[in-house]
Amino acid sequence: MLQMDGVQKIYRTDLVQTYALRSLSLRVAEGEFVAVTGPSGSGKTTFLNIAGLLETFEAGTYRLDGEDVSKLSDHARSRLRNVKIGFIFQSFNLIPDLNVYDNVDVPLRYRGMAGSERKRRITEALERVGLASRHQHLPSQLSGGQQQRVAIARALAGSPRILLADEPTGNLDSLMAREVMNMLEEINAQGTTIVMVTHDPELARRVHRNIHVMDGQVSDLDQRLAA
Amino acid sequence: MEIRPILSALRHNLTGALLIATQVALTLAIISNSASVIRERLAVSQRDSGVDAESRILTQRPILFSQIDLANLIQTDLDALRAIPGVESVTVTNQVPMGRSGWSSTFATERVPTAPNQSAGLYFDGGRLLETFGLKLVEGRGFRDDEIVNIDPKVQNPPPTGVLLTRRLAEALFPGQSQFVGRVFYQGNTPDSEELRVIGVIERFTTPWAQTGPGNEYAVVFPARYLNPFNHYVVRAAPGAEAQVRKAMEEALEKNEPGRVSNGQYSIQEMRDRRYRGERALAWLLVSVTVFLLGVTASGIVGMASLWVNLRRKQIGVRRALGATRGDIVRYFLTENLIITSAGIAVGVLAAWGLNGVLMSELSVPRLPLDYLLSGVLLMLLLGVVAVLGPALRAAKLSPALATRSV
Repeated sequence: MLQMDGVQKIYRTDLVQTYALRSLSLRVAEGEFVAVTGPSGSGKTTFLNIAGLLETFEAGTYRLDGEDVSKLSDHARSRLRNVKIGFIFQSFNLIPDLNVYDNVDVPLRYRGMAGSERKRRITEALERVGLASRHQHLPSQLSGGQQQRVAIARALAGSPRILLADEPTGNLDSLMAREVMNMLEEINAQGTTIVMVTHDPELARRVHRNIHVMDGQVSDLDQRLAA
Repeated sequence: MEIRPILSALRHNLTGALLIATQVALTLAIISNSASVIRERLAVSQRDSGVDAESRILTQRPILFSQIDLANLIQTDLDALRAIPGVESVTVTNQVPMGRSGWSSTFATERVPTAPNQSAGLYFDGGRLLETFGLKLVEGRGFRDDEIVNIDPKVQNPPPTGVLLTRRLAEALFPGQSQFVGRVFYQGNTPDSEELRVIGVIERFTTPWAQTGPGNEYAVVFPARYLNPFNHYVVRAAPGAEAQVRKAMEEALEKNEPGRVSNGQYSIQEMRDRRYRGERALAWLLVSVTVFLLGVTASGIVGMASLWVNLRRKQIGVRRALGATRGDIVRYFLTENLIITSAGIAVGVLAAWGLNGVLMSELSVPRLPLDYLLSGVLLMLLLGVVAVLGPALRAAKLSPALATRSV
C-alpha cells in the first residue's frame, strides 16, 4: 500500500539546512495498522506529511497504492490526497465556522461528488461515529472526543484507501482516547490501512506493527510489540 | 460551487463582511451618480453654440471713451478691421455667445401681464452678424444692410420691429407651430410692449450665459448698432490666419483711435473654455473622488481578504490536506468575495437611486441612466475580483502541511 525507499527531506533556510528524513525506507501493507513512534523532532510528522502528500521530498521514491507519486504535480497530489487518503489530526482541525455536516462535506465537495451521494456518505459516516443527531452543531458546541469523531467521519466519508492519523488521541483524556482508538481498530478491521503517529506506548502496543523513527531514519523496522 | 457553506461561514464573520459590503454599496451609489453628473457636465460644456469654427471667431471689446460721433467711429473701426488681410467678415454687437455677461429681455405673444413669457438673450446685429458667426438660418432671411439702424441710448428712438430669433425660442413662444416667419410677438408682456415681427429663424445661437437647460438657446437678434462705448467687434479670420489677424486687429483699432482701453481679445473657443471652466473643474473633482473611492474600496477588500487569509492559514492548510487544489482555494476566496460584493451591490443599487432622487430634487441633476448604474455594478464586480485575486493567490500557495503544524 505504502512503499518508501531512501526518502530524504531537508528543510533549508538561508543559514542552515536540517535533515528531517535521512534515507527513510519502509513498507506498509494493505490492511495493516501501523504505529510510528519516536521522540520529538525525530521526523515522525515529516514522514506523515510526505506519506500524506502534504510535502515533497528531495531524494528517494515513494509509491502509494502501487503508483509512483514522487514526481506528481501539486494538482495531481491534491486529487490523490482527496481520493485515497484520509487524515485525522491531533487538534481535530475542524473548520470552526462550519457545522458538523458541512465539515464532513468538505473533502467530498472537492471530489466534485453529486449532492445526493454526498448526503448519503455524510449521513453514513456520522452514524458510524454516533454523531448523526449532532450534524447541525458547530465544532465549538462539541467535546474534544466528539470533535475527533467528526474528524474521523470526515476522513471516512471519502472511503480512503489509507488513513493517516497524527497523534489522534493527543488532545483527549484517557476515556475518550480509548473510545477513539476502539473506533480506529474497528475501521482497520473493515479493511482500511491505518498509519498512526503516536507518543503513547499503550496505543502503540495495540497496533499490528510499530515503526520507530530516530533522527529521520527507521531504527526499528518490523518489530512486533507484545500486546 | 460551495455557496451555502461560504454563506454559513460568513455568518460567523459578519462584521468584516458587512464593512466591505457597506463600502461597496456606498462606492457604487456615489460613483454611478458621479459618472452621470460628469457626463452631464461634459455634455453641457460641449453643446453646440451655433457658431461654426469657434477658434476663428475673434472678439475684441475696446471701450470707446471718445466723445466724438460714436456711429462714425464704429463704422471706421469696422472698415479698418474688414481691410485686414485674412479677415473674412466683420460685425459689431453688444454681446457674444458664452461671454458670461450680456443683455436679456422677456418676450411674449400677448400684451397681457399674465401671459406666459420667455427670457432670452438680446443681440444687436451691427451688420453681417450671421455671416461672421457662421450662424445657420432655417427659415426666412437675415438682415439687409439698409435695415441696420443706429440706436442712441441718449435719444428715445423706436427700436426696429423686424427681428431674428432662434428656433428654440420660436418653438417656446409658438408651441405646436413649425412656420414662424411673419409671426408677431412682443418685447415684454405689458400693454405698452413693443411689437416685433419674425423675419428669420436661426437654427441655434447660444446666449452669453450659456445656461443649463433649453434657455441657453433662447435669443432674439435686432438689426441695430447700439451707440454706447461697450460694443464687441467680432472678426471671422480665414483658416490659419488667426494669429496674424489678432495682432492686426489690435493695431487697427489702436490706430483708428489711439489710447483706447481694451479688455482683451478672445476667440469664441476661448470664451467657451472660460465659460465651462467650472463644469470641467467639477467633472475632474468628481473623477478624482471616484478614483479615490475605488482605491479605498479596493484597499478595503485587499485588506480584509488578506486578514482573512492570515486568520485562516491553518484552515486553508486543512482544506488543502483534504484535497483542495490551489484552484479550489482561489475559487473559494473569489466566491466569498463575490457574495459580499453582490450583497453590497444590491444595497448600492437602491442607494444609488435614492441618492439620485435627492440630487434631482436638490441640485437638478438628471435622472441616473440605467447604463451608468449597470456599468457601476460591473465595475464593482470587477474591482472585487481584481482586489481579492492577490490575497487568494497567496492563500493558494500555502502548504497543505500547515494542517499538521501546531501553529
